[in-house]
Amino acid sequence: MPDHLFVGKSIPRTIEADKVTGKAVYIDDLKRPGMLYGKILYSKHAHAKIKKIDTSKAEKLEGVRAVLTGQDIPDVRVGFLKDQTVLKKDVVRQYRDEVAAVAAISPEIAAEAADLIKVEYEKLPAVFDPFEAMKQESQLVHELDARGRPLKSNILPLPWKFEAGDMEQARKDSTYISKDTVSTTWVNQCCMGTSGCIAEFDQNNNLTLYDQTNVIFGHIGRITEYFSQIGLRGKKIRVVNPVVGGSFGTKLDTDIYEFIAIQLALKTRKPVKILFDRKEEFRALPPRQPAVFTIEQGCDKEGRLTFRHCEAILDNGAYTSWGATTPSVMIMPMSSLYRVPNVYFKATCVYTNNIYAQAMRGYGNPQATFAVETSMDTLAEKAGIDPAEFRLINRNRPGDDTPMKLRITSCGLEECITAVKEKLNWDNKKGKQKGRGVGMASLIHVAGGARVTKSDGHGIMVKLDEYGHVDVIESGTDQGQGSPTVISQIVAEALGVRPEDIFLTFGDTALALWDAGTHASRHTFMAGNAAIGACAKAKRQILEMAVEQMPKIIKSGFKRKKRKDPGFVEPDLDFGLIANPEDMDIRDRMIFPKNDPDHPHFKLPLTQILQNGLHVGIGQSKVVVAEEFYDPPTEMLNWEMKGNLSMTYAFGTCGVEVEVDEQTGEIKILNLVSAHDVGKAMNPTLLLGQIYGAAYTGVGYGLTEEIKVQNGRVMNPSFRDYQMLTAMDVVPIEAVIIEPIDEAGPYGAKGVGEPGLVPTAPAIANAVYDAVGVRITDLPITPEKILTALKERK
Amino acid sequence: MKKVSVSFTLNGDSVTAEVPVTWTLLKTLREYFELTGAKEGCGVGECGACTVIMDGEAINSCLCPIPEVEGRSVTTIEGLADEDGTLHPLQEAFLKNNGVQCGFCTSGMIMSSKALLDHNPDPTEDEIRTSIAGNFCRCTGYVQIVESVKMAAKDGK
Amino acid sequence: MIDYDYLRPDNLEEVLGLLKEHGPKATLIAGGTDVMVKIRNTKKAPEVLVSIRGLKDLRYIEKRKDYHIGALTTHRMLEQSELVRTELSALYDGASRVGSVQVRNVATVGGNICNAAPSADTAGPLLVLDAIAFMEGPEGKRSVPITEFFTGTYKTVLKTDEVLTEIKIPGEMEHFGSAYWKHSRRKAMNLPILGIAVSLKLDGEIISDVRIALTVAAPTPVRAYKAEDFLKGKALSDEALNEAGKIAASTECCSLRDSLRGEAWYRAEIIEAYVPRMARLAAERRSK
Repeated sequence: MPDHLFVGKSIPRTIEADKVTGKAVYIDDLKRPGMLYGKILYSKHAHAKIKKIDTSKAEKLEGVRAVLTGQDIPDVRVGFLKDQTVLKKDVVRQYRDEVAAVAAISPEIAAEAADLIKVEYEKLPAVFDPFEAMKQESQLVHELDARGRPLKSNILPLPWKFEAGDMEQARKDSTYISKDTVSTTWVNQCCMGTSGCIAEFDQNNNLTLYDQTNVIFGHIGRITEYFSQIGLRGKKIRVVNPVVGGSFGTKLDTDIYEFIAIQLALKTRKPVKILFDRKEEFRALPPRQPAVFTIEQGCDKEGRLTFRHCEAILDNGAYTSWGATTPSVMIMPMSSLYRVPNVYFKATCVYTNNIYAQAMRGYGNPQATFAVETSMDTLAEKAGIDPAEFRLINRNRPGDDTPMKLRITSCGLEECITAVKEKLNWDNKKGKQKGRGVGMASLIHVAGGARVTKSDGHGIMVKLDEYGHVDVIESGTDQGQGSPTVISQIVAEALGVRPEDIFLTFGDTALALWDAGTHASRHTFMAGNAAIGACAKAKRQILEMAVEQMPKIIKSGFKRKKRKDPGFVEPDLDFGLIANPEDMDIRDRMIFPKNDPDHPHFKLPLTQILQNGLHVGIGQSKVVVAEEFYDPPTEMLNWEMKGNLSMTYAFGTCGVEVEVDEQTGEIKILNLVSAHDVGKAMNPTLLLGQIYGAAYTGVGYGLTEEIKVQNGRVMNPSFRDYQMLTAMDVVPIEAVIIEPIDEAGPYGAKGVGEPGLVPTAPAIANAVYDAVGVRITDLPITPEKILTALKERK
Repeated sequence: MKKVSVSFTLNGDSVTAEVPVTWTLLKTLREYFELTGAKEGCGVGECGACTVIMDGEAINSCLCPIPEVEGRSVTTIEGLADEDGTLHPLQEAFLKNNGVQCGFCTSGMIMSSKALLDHNPDPTEDEIRTSIAGNFCRCTGYVQIVESVKMAAKDGK
Repeated sequence: MIDYDYLRPDNLEEVLGLLKEHGPKATLIAGGTDVMVKIRNTKKAPEVLVSIRGLKDLRYIEKRKDYHIGALTTHRMLEQSELVRTELSALYDGASRVGSVQVRNVATVGGNICNAAPSADTAGPLLVLDAIAFMEGPEGKRSVPITEFFTGTYKTVLKTDEVLTEIKIPGEMEHFGSAYWKHSRRKAMNLPILGIAVSLKLDGEIISDVRIALTVAAPTPVRAYKAEDFLKGKALSDEALNEAGKIAASTECCSLRDSLRGEAWYRAEIIEAYVPRMARLAAERRSK
């Protein structure tokens, strides 16, 4: 492998210096001339009829420019299943239902006006337990579906069922079987920058939406559809990302507040900003999808898995966003984490009057992996095999085809499990049960794109000016993961310039080609590959320019010398060396023939070639611009939920050593090892940041975080009461980077944004079991639960 | 709407703000002076995104009534770099060590760290973590932030 | 819309004058970390805020015959005082665990106890350090032992025209070792699920005197007298300490409840576990 100048190096984030000087403009900081502030009035009940809304006082308040209720806007249904309207008109089905909205000249006036809106409700019986809601006799959350046809049950009509192999035979072939029920609850993404957007129409009713969305084109799709139903068919939408204060899955759908901002902007003919405060962010932002899993696994005498059978119940809340699609991702660990030939997975989503969920980092994988990896440990125990050994026996191997038809290319799972064992001193620490224990869990995740829409493409455009600046027009969203630095490393490497020559534009649909979305840990892989392709084309253009211009430049240089010094003898040069673009190269801003990189005459600065190529003087000027739309040869899941939806898969293992105080149930993490197979580390320091950050969120998921919902109401909507970890909650963490170079990835890289979060919770649960012999199957693993379990055991 | 006139030192300059008496220092910085580095992450002193330094001490500017700023000295993230753009060692360190990812917590995080280093140029890891315990970060898991502060402490010597 | 007058008097006399002038319309504000949050969350404000933040005279930590702490002393000052850390250790424990450095830089110990949350982190320590609260009003100065200061949840004996000026801790507490445990899910930025403060004096191995205080265990911070009575005169043994913990957790000493942050049964477990641990820590500190 040639020695890279930039790829694989820990280049600092100098390109993002605005973030350390207060210059970066987030949605909070962005203002547009004449901008108004929007505020939403939410429901006061989990389930009620709206009898009357009196907005008169609000409308009269000085500074108020618009007050909207469900009566004032077209009754258009939005959302993944089109099961809600933007402002709720007749019925509210959850506490966060949007009942009215105000636009005013200041956020304070807008809030005061919202408080002045009087809503008369008639309470209706509500259902908060998905198991109750599933029953025949349960109160219906929705009476009609999107098309107005009567619904008979609260169970959503979604096809989450996966089958592979012969389950019946597999049970017969099993020597050991174990069965567990585990559950996970709602957790908040806790982006430090809250949700918000600015909607602005131009004179011709085309929309610009300043928005933090990760799916700039997905937004356009959904808003275009909305427009076609509110009299704006054919109007153009431009989505522009400001600097984004974290996403973690919150920005993958078009949310109600965004539609509301659009309606307020339409009504007032002014730009309207809606920005959530932190309480709203905890109450009204859809969190991670909760789930209850009943999982059974079997293995033969040698410990080889024979089957995995799992049924999941998902509390869908009152409406539907991406939470209901998490089963499509859950199928991945269910069918493909470890080698298991016979698999059955069924997920049922059920309407309730609780809050509904969207995506969160991991997108169903953390929940499902909690189930699978709990079961791996209980089954290992039944079989009398050490849990690490059990996992090694059943590990995925390069070249595997899984029951889901995922094609495993590179796979470093064995190295990850082995590294974790070693770093934790597993063999010496396991099985002591004196209050200290070790546990582990692994993961599989998509790492080379994820074909969830028909196109999984990413387009990059690259253009150079004559001063050697490279503009890279990206189609993704920079959510803080370090993309500007990483992509500039890739472009610099591929083009032969330096990272500081690169200037990137992210998240602007007017400029960008197209991207499926910055999700599924796909950005570096997809954008990287697209960038390499675009740079190859740009490089070709530059080198064609070079072979044309270089001889002219050199010869005219000699002519000038001769004029000054008649005694000058023109050297006898072999211009054949620079006659073909294929024979040329660019490195560190210089262009030269490959066969003679230090040729005294044939090595010229890139900028000189570009200037001469653009400013020819006799016509035939050229600019250098190239694009590549990279859409990999992967498959969508077919109706059986099978298909190789990604170019490659990430593997990893998390190992944890814990100490449990048996008197109080308090848990201390003594050591956390997070091993990941990343293909190739593009920027080791940035990579570590992804691993540390994800693992830390995983610890919160496992131990402390939960949105407390009582009768549909969020009871802890603040950082004070929502237990996200602080810098003083130290977790000694060590990252291990395994690099089985993957041919599909840009310079061999695989995605790594989400994997760090996926196996942490089950690793902790497994370690707690090793430490004190109780297994907590219900996240988070709190001291109260441990103490209760310890007492019950006595 | 009662107004108040408050004179104080802001990033080394003498300034006067005439704002509603109910405004906090945070709102005054962001709206009156258009210094948007300090952010509102929660508005109730629970997240640290609004941290600035007042008379040498890190405070949550979202909880500071603007009248209390009279006669005081306030430093924000915008006042850290030199006039010629040279970054403060903390700012450099955060960029080198990936202490900044999405950046929303960064202004507050750096100001808390600066307040620490101004008092204690050679802090232990414990002391660093205590000083930033009131600054939430979701992106980094705090590891590289602590490393950044350590590096800045070393470079500052 | 919220609006108020914000007054910044220079001295205590002015403050008392303003409180008299504005009566129930006025509220005192010191560090602001409780008052400003309340205004933000309730969207209501008093008509007049009288700020005592600038009263430098009320900001001190002194040891004369007794320990004298000005009411406007910040938690950070308490945290960084060598005197408090070594001789009034429980108060150091409590003050240093409040919120964050940013909060502790402005929040005052006076504000903490006048707010009188059942979870106040300085309340337990002050209870076991025999603190006395000094206040001043139009009728003059008076003092009240901290054990009588809290009258209910968010209620104290402080009248609306009075200002808390000083907290005094008797000099003999120098001979006590003390400790405070704040039980919370994470190590910072939390209100306690439960607070346990212990101070004790040793005569060889015998506990010659002891104080135990519990917070978030009753409508106000309370002393666990029955547990103290049991321990007095006993040897510092696991048996005695564990029994004291059980008594402290019982209805004889507190009235535990279920709440958002924790359940009553778990709170009892924590009291049982941590009274002995804090007693041992207090003993350890005493012997230094």
